[in-house]
Amino acid sequence: MWTSKTFLYKTKRGNILKIVREHYLRDDLLCGSGACKTCPHKDDEIVLMSQAESICALFDYPHYLVLDTNVVLHQIDVLEEDALTNVIILQTVLEEVKHQNTAIFQRLLEIIGNKRRKFYSFVNEHHKDTYVERNPGEKQNDRNDRAIRRAVAWYEAHLSINRVNIESPRVVLLTDDENNRKIAQDEGIICCSVKDYVENVNGFPGLVDKLSKNVIPENCSKDALYPAHLTPTQIHAGIRNGKLYQGIFHASRDNFLEGSVVVNAFEKSILLQGHIGINRAVDGDTVAIEIFPEEEWRKPSDIVLEDKSEDPGDLLEEETVLLKSTKTNSNDEVTPTGKVVGIIKRKWRQYCGILMPSRLPGATRHLFTPAEKRIPRVRIETRQSDVLASQRILVALDSWPRNSRYPLGHFVRALGPIGDKDAENEVILLEHDVPHARFSEAVLACLPPNDWTIPKEEINKRVDLRPICICSVDPPGCTDIDDALHARRIKGTTDDGLKKYEVGVHIADVTYFVRPNTALDKEAASRSTTVYLVDRRIDMVPDLLSSNLCSLRGGEERLAFSCVWEVDENANILSTKFHKSVIKSAAAMTYEEAQIAIDDESRKDEIASSLRVLNSLAKKLKRRRLDNGALLLASPEIRFQVDSETHDPVEVQAKKLMDTNSMVEEFMLLANISVAQRLAAEYPQCALLRRHPAPPPVNFVNFLKAARQQGFELDVSTNKSFSKSLDEAVIPGRPYFNTLLRIMATRCMQQAVYFSSGTCAQEDFYHYGLACPIYTHFTSPIRRYADVIVHRLLAACVGCDVTHASLLDNKAADALCDNLNYRHRQAQYAGRASVALNTHILFRNRVEIESAVVLAVKRNALQVLIPKYGLEGPLYLPSDKFTYNDEEHVQICGKVILKTFDELTVRLSLDSSNLQHRKLIFQLVKPYVPDFSYKVEDMDVEFVEESDLPQKIEKKRKGTEAKLSKKSKKK
Amino acid sequence: MTGHVSIRLASERVNHSVSSSNVLPRFYTPGEVITGTQDFMRGHGTYAEDDCLKSSVAGVMQKVNKLICIRPLKSRYVGEIGDVVVGRILEVQQRRWKVETNSRLDSVLQLSSVNLPGGELRRRSVEDEQMMRMYLQEGDLISAEVQSLFSDGSLSLHTRSLKYGKLSQGTLVKVFPSLIKRRKNHFHNLLCGVSIIIGNNGFIWISPLMQDLMIEESKDEINNYESQSVSKSDREAMARVKNCILALVASKMMLDDTSIMFAYEESLKYDSVKDLLDPEAMLDIAFLTQHKINNIMDE
Amino acid sequence: MPGPDLLSSQGLRLDGRRPNELRRIRCKMGVFTQPDGSAYLEQGNTKVLAAVYGPHQAAKSKSSTEGVVVNCQYSMATFSTGERKNRPRGDRKSQEMSLHLRQALTAAIKTELYPRSQIDVYVEVLQADGGAYCVCVNAATLALIDAGIPLRAYACACSASMAWHGGQPEPLVDVGHVEEAAGGVVLTVASLPSTENIALLEMSHRLHMDYFDVVLSRAMQGCRDIEVILDKAVREHLAEGWTKEDVVTI
Repeated sequence: MWTSKTFLYKTKRGNILKIVREHYLRDDLLCGSGACKTCPHKDDEIVLMSQAESICALFDYPHYLVLDTNVVLHQIDVLEEDALTNVIILQTVLEEVKHQNTAIFQRLLEIIGNKRRKFYSFVNEHHKDTYVERNPGEKQNDRNDRAIRRAVAWYEAHLSINRVNIESPRVVLLTDDENNRKIAQDEGIICCSVKDYVENVNGFPGLVDKLSKNVIPENCSKDALYPAHLTPTQIHAGIRNGKLYQGIFHASRDNFLEGSVVVNAFEKSILLQGHIGINRAVDGDTVAIEIFPEEEWRKPSDIVLEDKSEDPGDLLEEETVLLKSTKTNSNDEVTPTGKVVGIIKRKWRQYCGILMPSRLPGATRHLFTPAEKRIPRVRIETRQSDVLASQRILVALDSWPRNSRYPLGHFVRALGPIGDKDAENEVILLEHDVPHARFSEAVLACLPPNDWTIPKEEINKRVDLRPICICSVDPPGCTDIDDALHARRIKGTTDDGLKKYEVGVHIADVTYFVRPNTALDKEAASRSTTVYLVDRRIDMVPDLLSSNLCSLRGGEERLAFSCVWEVDENANILSTKFHKSVIKSAAAMTYEEAQIAIDDESRKDEIASSLRVLNSLAKKLKRRRLDNGALLLASPEIRFQVDSETHDPVEVQAKKLMDTNSMVEEFMLLANISVAQRLAAEYPQCALLRRHPAPPPVNFVNFLKAARQQGFELDVSTNKSFSKSLDEAVIPGRPYFNTLLRIMATRCMQQAVYFSSGTCAQEDFYHYGLACPIYTHFTSPIRRYADVIVHRLLAACVGCDVTHASLLDNKAADALCDNLNYRHRQAQYAGRASVALNTHILFRNRVEIESAVVLAVKRNALQVLIPKYGLEGPLYLPSDKFTYNDEEHVQICGKVILKTFDELTVRLSLDSSNLQHRKLIFQLVKPYVPDFSYKVEDMDVEFVEESDLPQKIEKKRKGTEAKLSKKSKKK
Repeated sequence: MTGHVSIRLASERVNHSVSSSNVLPRFYTPGEVITGTQDFMRGHGTYAEDDCLKSSVAGVMQKVNKLICIRPLKSRYVGEIGDVVVGRILEVQQRRWKVETNSRLDSVLQLSSVNLPGGELRRRSVEDEQMMRMYLQEGDLISAEVQSLFSDGSLSLHTRSLKYGKLSQGTLVKVFPSLIKRRKNHFHNLLCGVSIIIGNNGFIWISPLMQDLMIEESKDEINNYESQSVSKSDREAMARVKNCILALVASKMMLDDTSIMFAYEESLKYDSVKDLLDPEAMLDIAFLTQHKINNIMDE
Repeated sequence: MPGPDLLSSQGLRLDGRRPNELRRIRCKMGVFTQPDGSAYLEQGNTKVLAAVYGPHQAAKSKSSTEGVVVNCQYSMATFSTGERKNRPRGDRKSQEMSLHLRQALTAAIKTELYPRSQIDVYVEVLQADGGAYCVCVNAATLALIDAGIPLRAYACACSASMAWHGGQPEPLVDVGHVEEAAGGVVLTVASLPSTENIALLEMSHRLHMDYFDVVLSRAMQGCRDIEVILDKAVREHLAEGWTKEDVVTI
């Protein structure tokens, strides 16, 4: 039954600790080869083919490949190609990869999991014949190399003993470590470098492009542009004795020569400037920095600087522009400044962007510009530049040697033509890490059949609400209807003689279909949310559920999770109950239809009267909520009217808000709060809740300053006082001013986050924006995974369902919350990026003059918002005309003073001069500044104007960043 | 105390087993079913459960007609009437002493079960009760005989014979009671000038020869005897006997006068008594003793 | 998935065992001459000495006419863990362990045989590498058998944890220190495997009901496996210490 084999100790020496671990060696591990006759394989355990055909010209006999760790780490893109098969992944390699890079480890597991790829993972560390002990004084790396060689030798011997015929496979070691290769050759092991191998592969032309150019960055000291990085030991020592600091590098969005690092020891983040200061750090990397003496500290530059478009070769250009502008004197604004001296951990991923082909015909080295502004350009090698030049492509970073101006990378795949909507959407999704692949077979297998109807026994288990008149109210065109409402008068009165009503909120019962731990559930948990792009919806659950079986469509019987209250006519809750139910929605209405039904006094039907009750109760609820201090925040929301054929946007309009919007919202809030209270009481450790921390006062500083310039003192001490002073800040004649104030207030807020009740103190449950002590998400399980979990928790505590392990597991809940928050945020950003993309398409052929307001004043630009489109962007001001007063945050040019909240008129157009990088241009029309403002009379000569504008000023933000905030704080 | 102490690795320890037979009997371990039928009587080391007779200790089965017992390799001393024991006074109580005899409950020595100075048939007076500590006090060693068994299994002892009584001027060796062979006589004067009392309870008393002293001595003289010094040669002989016993015990050999004497004889080839503590020497002695015993048995 | 990766993709645990394999068990009975019974037992790197004294007259305060009083003392050597640390006897952890030990052993000992007596069990952990309690129970059982104290059956203890393999729950038997420290749940069972009785059940973290049964049955299987190993050791010990005189029929 159990066999304990020779028994060895593995010793690790720390400071004082001596850790002794058991390490069992086994003799029952299989080699996984079809050519082997000794290992007792079962049929499904053979991974490697007995006849492994060679695709490489260098080795014309059948062979298996064994990979060295560095090969996996650097050439994972090559491995992911369908070319190399019959590969043995040793456990030594697997563990080293896991230790060094989890992302690559996951990708490697994926490959191993793919049966067709024939990757076999061999547990050499626990095999009695292939385990090697570390010799005294031997480095871990050397020992691992030795282990790999031992395993290769063992395989070779093992297969040759079992050699049935001459044709049985040999074993080839792929390694890029020359030293290792040399020793291996001496030991009689066939080995080869990846480059040599891949270049001689026949039949896979694209494979060579994927080869990573991993040079050891610090070795290229010839023509070095950058100072060398310190070695890990030096960094470690430096950090220990306090000379160096560790932190995560954040590149500036606006200025490619600037970045910052947040270090624990300093209150302010550390400023890094220039090529040398940043020294090859890329956004997200964990770096070691050295801090300059205080007299060399600087102030972050306010200018916007973009990398030049041409390839300057391996030279570092002058940085005077940057340095000049940052020589300021006011001491209070300097921040600690330093430079990067070493990289502790790279956090490179794959980046979307476009290729900028080299001007030389036939060249293979090209520059790549990532879509993300924080990422530097990348030099890649490809022979397909002609094809790729007009494509959005995905590129991986490999290394950044000292003598290279740009990091080196390699091409991964093409996403589609530039400007193509699908390709652009793909870019948005990839850049925001939105899982958007089609649902896998395993997921689809969890679905009920298309013609599914509610089974009888399920109806018997539930409360039958089909006779009740329930209706849903949603935006037009909504297909994933997850909530429906009803209200009706019930008999009796309260003790105070008030009328009593029954109000129900019915939420689609998604958890009936999405059972825990199924493939469907895991996929939904990973996606966490449905992502709405302007012209596309990336569903969290497959379409059959989201738009059909779970969608509470009018006139169809559907399963629901109901929350039913008894309330009096003042909207005080008398009782609450939760139960699963069957409903039949009487009508699926739009906000507008519902509004009409309420307003049309001639309608006396059940739906209309139900809606009227709901509406009046909602108003009372809202009043009470606002009195408690809930904030009414605004954000510019727009809707695109989309061309029915091309799906291109033809017009935008701000979303209209009606009473019915807020009616639905009030009841959803009420349901969420009721559920949250119940969950928190039932599950003190693992209830999934949502909180919104109060913003720290420092967030308000600029906002308050700007409000003061307009003559308003806002009280931000509590949400109640803040809400009150916002209500009072009205300028007669400027109706938009108050909305603008609220838009800006929104930006001062913290993000609301999901959390598990065990991780937080009770008083931190507070939701600042809604002014309620506890809150969760219950009402949209079709499009949010948080709601699915909440449904399960609630179902378990009302006895409709059973709990399952991960539901009650603290750690799992915590990890889930992290993912939910991350995906939620990314989905918001993706949504905004999509709006920006569509705005660009909208302005492709038009120029407009619109009124705008100033949101913020920067050193060389104004941040302006166009209320009509909810569009936001920079209006650049040349420094020879405008002077910036950084005390008051105003820009002055003669008599014209521009400050926050000022209303302007601007001209909007799309700069298409660079087809690959379209950007919206704002030009000042009013107030008129001579030689700067755009003259309205010239409207008919639109695009000629572009060339007049000095390039220097028109360094623009890229399109995707034109902020267009969607509803961000609500719910 | 200075001197060389030898400590060796566990792996280098000497295996003391001196196998006397290659044929192993059937062993039973706790919880093992001995027999499924009800035909047998439940003896020591067994219990009945689920209509089965099960073993409760690890050992070999002993069957007397229908009575089944399992005898463990070692256990606490289980006394029988007539056994000779060596014990230590734990406590002086009302008209009795508590005696530690390596059984699971303390044994009792009644005041009425001891010979007091002044004649065997003398009545016990109140004074005697008050004088009890004068005769035997806590920590004193005695030799005694099991007089009777109480219902709870504890022993009642008596010393109403001249050969029993308080012990002094000697050394005590404790061994597992299971290693003591039941013999008619447990008092032996060995030829080497040492007398031993092999208590059935596993306590062995080694003292200089004292037959000449014990005969019709007055109480005063006994006191003298206690304070008399024992010559070095006697002490060496005692130590040698003790080490011989330890050697036999280490090899789990049964103890009686014969085996001890044999061992003593074999030990003489080691000059220094101290050398007998060496594991190899112990094994050697045990082995030779076993050999000698086998020879005798064969004869 | 909850819990860290305790199982590799090949289904091996961190130390190379399969989920249903115990650590290597080595033991020796009768290591001391002074106590009535003693044993040394190691399970992997967890090493424990146990000594049993008695049954002997119980101290008056503890004495019970119902049956024998089992008195346990658990202690850890200063050098038993990676970090050297003075561990006073009778600290909270030892007290708890002593109590649990007593519970398991009392279940095994035929206490009713010896009223007014007491059995002292001393266990000392020489090296702790996970599952110290289980090893202590197993060592104490051997020491009790060595002392010839009547037992209903072997008392064996074994722990089990939970891991995930390929999305399926997979219980792990005999949890080592690394696995314990990784933060998974540890279910400790002390039982009399031959009677299927459970003497003590303890769990370190919360575990969902759905998985409890599989983890428990894995732990019970571990107990049975341990019993087989102990039984073999006892028989070997008997064979070694056996003398002809033992079979003399009275």
